Amino acid sequence: MLQPFSELPSISLNQLLARRQLLKHAGSGIGALGLLSLLQQEGVLETAHAAPSLQAINPLAPKPTHFPAKAKSVIWLFINGGPSHVDTWDYKPELEKRDGVALEGFDNKTGFFQNAVGPLMKSPFKFKQHGESGKWVSEIFPNLSQHVDKMAFIHSGHTESNNHSPALFMMNCGIPKMGYPCVGSWVTYGLGSESNSLPAFVVMSDPLGRGLPKGQSLNWGAGFLPSVYQGTYLKPSGEPIDNLQPPSVLTEKGRQRSQLDLLKSLNRQHLQQNEGDQELAARIESFELAYRMQSAAPEALDISQEPKHLQEQYGVGNKKCEHFAKQCLIARRMVERGTRFVQIYSGGMENQRSWDGHSDIKGNHSGFAEETDQPIAALLADLESRGLLNETLVIWGGEFGRLPIAQKGATPGRDHNPHAFTTWLAGGGVKAGTTYGATDEIGFKAAEDKVHVNDLHATILRLLGMDHEKLTYLYSGRRFRLTDVGGHVIDKIIA
Amino acid sequence: MRNSLSALILLVGIVLPVSLSAADKKAALPADHAQRMQLGLDLFKKEVRPLLVEKCLKCHGGKSVKGDFDLSSRKKLLDSSMIEKTGKESYLMALVEHREEPFMPLKEKKLSEKEIASLSKWIDLGAPYDKDLATSGKSASEKLVITDDDRKFWSFQPLSSPSVPKAKDSSWAQNEIDSFVLAKQTEKGLTPNEQVSKRVYIRRAYFDLIGLPPAPAEVEAFLADNSPDAYESLIDRLLASPHYGERWARHWLDIARFAESHGFEHDYDRNFAYHYRDFVIKALNQDMPYDQFIKWQLAGDEIAPDKPLALMATGFLGAGVFPTQITANEVERTRYDALDDMLNTTGLAMLGLSVGCARCHDHKFDPIASDDYYRMLSTFTTTVRTEIELDLDPEKYKQEKSKFDLAHAPLVKALQDFETQQIKPDFENWLKQGKIDTAQLDEWIVPDVVSHTSKGKALFEKLEDGSVLVSGPNINQDQFTFTLRTNVRPIRAIRLETLTHRSLPKQGPGRAVNGNFSLTAFKVTAKSIADKKGAAQEVKLTNARATHEQNQTTLSANSAIDGQYGSGWAVDLGGIGKDQAIVFDLETPLDQAGETELTVTMSFTNNVNHSIGHPRFSVSNSSSPAIKTGAGSPEQLSQALQLVEEGAWDKLTDAQKQILERRYREQDPKWVALSDKVNQHLKTEPQRALTKVMICSEGPDIKPVRHHTQGKDFFDETYYLTRGDTEQKGAVANQSFLQVLMRSPQQEKTWIEAPPKTATTSYRRSSLANWITDTQQGAGALAARVIANRIWQHHIGTGIVNTPNDFGLQGERPTHPELLDYLANQLIQHEWHLKPLHKQIMLSATYRQSTDFHPDQSKIDPENKLYWRHSPQRLEGEVIRDSILLIGNRLDTTMYGPGTLQDDSLRRSIYFKIKRSQLIPMMQLFDAPEALVSIGQRSSTTIAPQALLFMNAEFIRESAKSFAKNIYQAHPTSLEKAVTDAYQTVLGRVPSASEAAISLAFIQQHQKSYESEKKPEATLLALTDFTHALLSTNEFIYPN
Repeated sequence: MLQPFSELPSISLNQLLARRQLLKHAGSGIGALGLLSLLQQEGVLETAHAAPSLQAINPLAPKPTHFPAKAKSVIWLFINGGPSHVDTWDYKPELEKRDGVALEGFDNKTGFFQNAVGPLMKSPFKFKQHGESGKWVSEIFPNLSQHVDKMAFIHSGHTESNNHSPALFMMNCGIPKMGYPCVGSWVTYGLGSESNSLPAFVVMSDPLGRGLPKGQSLNWGAGFLPSVYQGTYLKPSGEPIDNLQPPSVLTEKGRQRSQLDLLKSLNRQHLQQNEGDQELAARIESFELAYRMQSAAPEALDISQEPKHLQEQYGVGNKKCEHFAKQCLIARRMVERGTRFVQIYSGGMENQRSWDGHSDIKGNHSGFAEETDQPIAALLADLESRGLLNETLVIWGGEFGRLPIAQKGATPGRDHNPHAFTTWLAGGGVKAGTTYGATDEIGFKAAEDKVHVNDLHATILRLLGMDHEKLTYLYSGRRFRLTDVGGHVIDKIIA
Repeated sequence: MRNSLSALILLVGIVLPVSLSAADKKAALPADHAQRMQLGLDLFKKEVRPLLVEKCLKCHGGKSVKGDFDLSSRKKLLDSSMIEKTGKESYLMALVEHREEPFMPLKEKKLSEKEIASLSKWIDLGAPYDKDLATSGKSASEKLVITDDDRKFWSFQPLSSPSVPKAKDSSWAQNEIDSFVLAKQTEKGLTPNEQVSKRVYIRRAYFDLIGLPPAPAEVEAFLADNSPDAYESLIDRLLASPHYGERWARHWLDIARFAESHGFEHDYDRNFAYHYRDFVIKALNQDMPYDQFIKWQLAGDEIAPDKPLALMATGFLGAGVFPTQITANEVERTRYDALDDMLNTTGLAMLGLSVGCARCHDHKFDPIASDDYYRMLSTFTTTVRTEIELDLDPEKYKQEKSKFDLAHAPLVKALQDFETQQIKPDFENWLKQGKIDTAQLDEWIVPDVVSHTSKGKALFEKLEDGSVLVSGPNINQDQFTFTLRTNVRPIRAIRLETLTHRSLPKQGPGRAVNGNFSLTAFKVTAKSIADKKGAAQEVKLTNARATHEQNQTTLSANSAIDGQYGSGWAVDLGGIGKDQAIVFDLETPLDQAGETELTVTMSFTNNVNHSIGHPRFSVSNSSSPAIKTGAGSPEQLSQALQLVEEGAWDKLTDAQKQILERRYREQDPKWVALSDKVNQHLKTEPQRALTKVMICSEGPDIKPVRHHTQGKDFFDETYYLTRGDTEQKGAVANQSFLQVLMRSPQQEKTWIEAPPKTATTSYRRSSLANWITDTQQGAGALAARVIANRIWQHHIGTGIVNTPNDFGLQGERPTHPELLDYLANQLIQHEWHLKPLHKQIMLSATYRQSTDFHPDQSKIDPENKLYWRHSPQRLEGEVIRDSILLIGNRLDTTMYGPGTLQDDSLRRSIYFKIKRSQLIPMMQLFDAPEALVSIGQRSSTTIAPQALLFMNAEFIRESAKSFAKNIYQAHPTSLEKAVTDAYQTVLGRVPSASEAAISLAFIQQHQKSYESEKKPEATLLALTDFTHALLSTNEFIYPN
């Protein structure tokens, strides 16, 4: 572990440059007082002199919201590949009645495989009612079903593509094209970070070698926003974050601290000659932040610090779900320490590597449910017991739903369905135990209170205290929004 | 400088008011105009609008425009001649009052008296509209009409010829640029900073032009140069450095959203896209005129198809993202997205206009009609990405080839002379003598090749020796078919020789880049020529054996007949550059009367581009013929010999005679010697060095790059779409350009170029290029302004227009419009060469100013818009990395060629491969764009992960170490001198007394600390800790 202070005595000719000198020049340019805020954070200056323009230098400084925020942070469990709503949360007894009957007038271009169109197919899973809300839940979620009274279900989601990567981009970036900022980037751009020693926006993907979601890192890209807002990808193997480990000779005897002291000293002399230039001051500060990050980030990722029983509650030690359990625990630890946005992908690329149950919907979904059911349930309970649930928005959902008809094959599956899918939200100011919108009687298409992806995004931003029409970025002559030209906040699921 | 990011952030939540439209500036109006308009507006909103919408609009500007009368906007109403100054005089009123036919509303109830009165009164008041009448969005009446007023916006104007302002105090100014700058400053009471020292200047110039710091010796040489043109020759030297292109290409590649993968689901590599990056570097280094630079990027394949650089340039169009898995529902929309990417990037990069905004509707701010968009979009209708093989240096080939030809001709002549003077007469004599030795016949007989085909359109040439030479297209997975005829019976074995040839890679025998091939399947069918009705029978082959096998398993001889898709006979690992042969036995000998026709099918599918380059077939009736190459006897030889023996030589066919003559001369030692000379020399014949290149082009000969698409990828027409929706198609859009950038309406014919008769492309892209570079009538004036502004921006820190990709109404206005036009004019006068413009800017006093900060001046001009100081810039990630490698003496300066994803590469950062899903982490940390859309100006952020990189990244530590080693070796006995040397190398100056003292103390302390731990090389480690810190200083990455 790093030593916070060098064993070597401090060397400095004029320890810090005079505060007066700084103040004298600080009136330069817009946001020049940002320097003061930084120095103030560092304890060099007292509060009275500071002005609220931190963002002029630090693009991740916390920013005011448009409305009082209900949620401070987000944990998005991305159910990758397109979970089947009719086999999970959207119970359709009508499918049992019409099992094996062809769906009249079905357009075979709806799904991905035009030549594998089968008849209507009932869910292979049993459904039971749970909680005070009496929510019907599939048997594949024995643990999550205990938490339905925390959730707000949206059954009437629909999207614009029947193909993984455009639909993933749609769900992540609000437009079925590549090159646009994702929700996490918009949120950190709009709100900044609550932590100065941890990344603001973190992404975890499948650690079992089943690949990245289609479209890969572009799902957490910043698009045309400054790259500082892109997601930090925690690598599933090796060092999770680049450059966190100092060269070994420097870790000994606090040599790195002493080296940073030299650097600071040289930089401060330079700063003095450059009239207290704010950006130079910010860079001096960034080395201190980095030094803190070196210990803070590994600490946040170190789940061994959690009590054993809690680890077990998440599923650590259970081979079926241990990988996802660890990720959920990390997510909680990060959110607790000020990370704004965490996204975890369940499953990797397509077909059997994710929830993309083209064949054997039963085996596919029960397998992935087993990987995630216990960890997510434990996460909800843990957040609640720590009083974090009301300020943390938990989202469960994928890029689209699946068709109520069978995809033909030896063991039938279900093909992509852009017309209907279920997303649930919990915590973070959502109205617990509610259901919004509905699909038709067979779950083919959203029918009541349809919710476009833009509407979902508008609602997420609203819970975080932002007006989706005001969160804009001027690029290429146009003010872009996460919600493009659409988006209606679903007030009915907001507490 | 530093306001770019913060300014953007501050914009959140603020909606800017829309700028004044040109139409608001009207002259000579009646005094009570405003009052009357207000009354009229009230009336319009309350009564007239509902009336018009309900009773008239449907047929007059709503769903349709009947009788050529459209009242959906005020302008259209006024232009219609349906109304006059008063209601009474208006023809419209005559119709609605049923004074004249046709009575309006047509076949509907007459309007009420009140409605008629309101309408008439409203006309009296000037017929004001508060806004156009809302329609469904599809009507012709909504179409934006571009007017001369629109053309009056500053950036759409022709270039002015501003006179250079006369400055009162000209002692500061270095050239005319400064007069413009000084004039603005004087207006505001600002005074510019003094010139920096030569020591600071050379550092600034180096980073600016080549992206690397000067070596201490280079600094000293410049300081010592007291000649009046010292500065000028410095700039000339840097502009001539090949590093100039490597530095400045990066700026353009940001703008061109250049990357080397498709993006989307698979992010497949574009392995041959790097040629575009090389084009940009080469073009800049050779100071290609900028108009040519952009024309070639749009239509190099049409403008200069024989110039490799022109073809490489078209990579611009294809550099954007493209999905590799497209469902049937998405195909058409995806194609429109691809066209949009080409058009939008062209607009942003070359004209600073966001044309793409007009995809769904008329541009909200700029006078760009949706129709203009689709007409311009049609430029690219048939443009696709493709991969071709190109000789990147045809001049070199030409020169070498002509040198070779010159040396070759006398050898050929000697041989030919000998043949005509000696061989011919001797041969005729021999024929007549009829003395034959039949033992001359080989056990392998080479049948006649009667036909050949290739799935991938490879070209075949039959050679004298019965072999076939393959050239032309070499697709990934080709299949060849040959038809042979033979009289040999029974056929017991078949041999395929795969021969070398000088035209093949590494002499062959294969066509893969390494000279290899992989014969996945070798199949033969046979039929009797005599039996016309008989069907071809499959010939079963067995016992495959070869002169060489790459391995005993999947690349063995047997792999050619094992029926496996994934295996094939190959000959690498010892067999390249040598003739090879494979022999197959027939399971059952083929014995049929008369001539036999054999059809040989060879497929090359288990590896890409691995076809055979020079095959020859032979058959044998021996039961175990030798596995060898060469010396087969031609099919017709035995028959010919028989005729000679019978003395019937006059019955020989020409072909038989030729075969005999070849046999004859091959036995003449002198002929063999002469022929050997020719052949040996032929082996030195220069070959075109072909490289695969991804370009964009069109036409029937072009094979588009395609992946997994359900259905047709490309379409023949571009349609007008409503709201960008491919389900709502209008008419076919014919090519035109932005109306606002034509001096007169509908002028497109001026630029549209009909394709020449022999052309396979549409010439629409050439037409676009003509318009974009036409400075008189087209968009050329804007194009010149945009590039002049970019050059200025990268030298000075901010553009004269601070939104380099937006010269439209939403963009910022130029701070120095006259200076911008002056620079644009200069560029055109220099025939679009960029280097003179760099030089002029860099020699100006404006550029030479110090960064000194003055609070008083800052109060007047806080953002330094009037350039009273030089704004320091943080070096880009590429420059930081390259400079650190250089200082560590580790920089590999190899130019061009494929890039790499290895972030420990030691080449300049521009040679990193840009794979969209795997961007180089360090470049991302320092704000390199994600290569998805055109970026004209990077943000410059300061974040902790950058500091972590400086503290802990291996390449920085390694460079610090090798740098420390160098200075230690140079000054083994003096740490003071080592410190001074380090400062000079890293910061271009000697340390101050306090810096030297603190550095020395640090080094000694770390030295002691390492020594106390008994670490070897304690001094070097301590010096490394110091150089590591020095490379991390603010001063290093913020040069003044």
